[in-house]
Amino acid sequence: METRKKVMEIEKARKGQDPFAFRCGLLDLLILPPLKVEVHCLSPSPLRTLASATRRDRGSTGNCSDMTVLERQRPRTKMQQDQQHLQLHDHHRQEEENYFCGTGFNAVFSPLQLQLENSQGLIMAAAGTDSALGEVVAQAPSLKTDPALVNGWPELSKFEIPAMAYVNSAISRTCSCPPSASVKAVAEGKGKELISSEKMSSASGSRENLNKRKAEKIQNPKVVAENNNHKDKKIKMCAEEGESKITEQTSTKNPTTTANNNNRETSADTSKENSKTSEVQKPDYIHVRARRGQATDSHSLAERVRREKISERMKYLQDLVPGCNKITGKAGMLDEIINYVQSLQRQVEFLSMKLAAVNPRLDFNIDDLFAKEVFPACGPSYPTIDMGINTPDMGLRRTISAPVSLPETFLDSSCFTQILPPSTAWENDLQNLYNVEFDQARSTSYPSQQFTGPIEASILKMEM
Amino acid sequence: MTLNGTDMLPSETKIKFASRFLRSLSKIKKPRSASSLKETQKCSERIKVAAYSSMAHAVGSRRAWSRAVLVKLGSRARQRQVLMRRKRSKVGKKCKRVGMKKKKIKNCVLGQENKLRELVPGGKSMDILSLLEETTHYLTCLSAQVKVMQTIADYYSKG
Repeated sequence: METRKKVMEIEKARKGQDPFAFRCGLLDLLILPPLKVEVHCLSPSPLRTLASATRRDRGSTGNCSDMTVLERQRPRTKMQQDQQHLQLHDHHRQEEENYFCGTGFNAVFSPLQLQLENSQGLIMAAAGTDSALGEVVAQAPSLKTDPALVNGWPELSKFEIPAMAYVNSAISRTCSCPPSASVKAVAEGKGKELISSEKMSSASGSRENLNKRKAEKIQNPKVVAENNNHKDKKIKMCAEEGESKITEQTSTKNPTTTANNNNRETSADTSKENSKTSEVQKPDYIHVRARRGQATDSHSLAERVRREKISERMKYLQDLVPGCNKITGKAGMLDEIINYVQSLQRQVEFLSMKLAAVNPRLDFNIDDLFAKEVFPACGPSYPTIDMGINTPDMGLRRTISAPVSLPETFLDSSCFTQILPPSTAWENDLQNLYNVEFDQARSTSYPSQQFTGPIEASILKMEM
Repeated sequence: MTLNGTDMLPSETKIKFASRFLRSLSKIKKPRSASSLKETQKCSERIKVAAYSSMAHAVGSRRAWSRAVLVKLGSRARQRQVLMRRKRSKVGKKCKRVGMKKKKIKNCVLGQENKLRELVPGGKSMDILSLLEETTHYLTCLSAQVKVMQTIADYYSKG
């Protein structure tokens, strides 16, 4: 693997005390295909160097555990890189959960850990960054006010763990590689994440954008499947994760309203989005993944979500409205829908006029029958005042109860004879009706002209 | 979406609608054969209202559009009660017709949306997403209503 070659190169550079080559090598690593690496070895290294500075600010237990881990690890910086690597590696396994649970880094690093396999060379290199950073750190605590921070990282200054700040400053000083060129590979380590994120942020120009990029996200299974195609976006999200995690920490201390919300949202979103194994689940938020070649602005993301919802509903409407298959486009579809609704409403009006004009010879004398509100399978026979009305009503009542009780009960001829009025014609009709109903229980609609019988036949048809 | 791929309304709703509609039909006074056109129009108006109300009752309060219809009917019924006490005047007749007016809007995209809002009951106070969803359900109910009314009309015209 060329990545490994590069790693060895970097190692040589480091050993050869060539800081510039070493750092550029690190940056080059970003371009190369992702190397699965233990990430966590990096994480404590920048953090621990600044542990003392930020000790006071920390309150959460997670941070305290950070502290203890860092303090424990501090003396190792002076030891050889191998030992360092081994110890860090060991500690990661054991203490990772404790380390990160409070801070929320868990979500960031657990997936990375799971995804990454060990690479000794790279870890050496990573550990090497530690020494490089150590140089930088040793210089001054005034790095916090570094102009690189002020530019696009106003919140970084508030960081309890200004690791990023230091990394940023270190990189900005030491390497003049163009930011955009190197942002391609998946994050290989937190240091590199930070590097890449720093570059992207400086390229983008503002911290706010990065936070808002992931303000709204949707987990698109298709997009998730296309992970490989979206490395460039993913790295941004990985990187921003780191930032947002850090900002989440600060936000717990210094509640700035919108920044807080943004950070929490972004961290929540990224945590859920970036790793399926993430333990931090925040189902309140809609998760969207920015697709390749599309804007990652929060506004455009939200708009895209909205548009997708609208198009989904238009598809349902397209199925409903007949003859809309060929029409594409919102305007045409809306036209068709409006026309269809208007036509249906006109049909209702027409039918109501028809019903009003119907010869009222057949009195709609259903009152007394419906007043009983009982649908017994066997009941007293009803006086047949109006043959034309009563029987359809009784039939209707039977149909109403049919879904409730098993339809087979109505096949019982004894019930029929009890309920039906003493009219052979109606008896035959209704028996035919029920025969038909049960013979073709699941058939779709018949043309209504087939049945000259009562209404309930048609109603039953419609039900089926 | 509740109506995911199914165009048919559940039969329970249809039966509810049919029974209510028939009941209300029986209550409406039918004009005599020698009645004027106006009376027939009035009667058909009432039948139409009865159809929509029975459909809304059959759907229940589950849908925004059915709730809007029920509210409108309730307020209308209350208005009518008030008017019954007073002398029958032209004001009363106007109140009935206010709801029937429909503005004419140009057929631009915004206009289409507005048109749809006016067609679907309760559509004026909905965002576009819920408007589309309500339109879907409203369409299924409306088509079912039309079918039931068709069969009733067929039956009574033939019988």
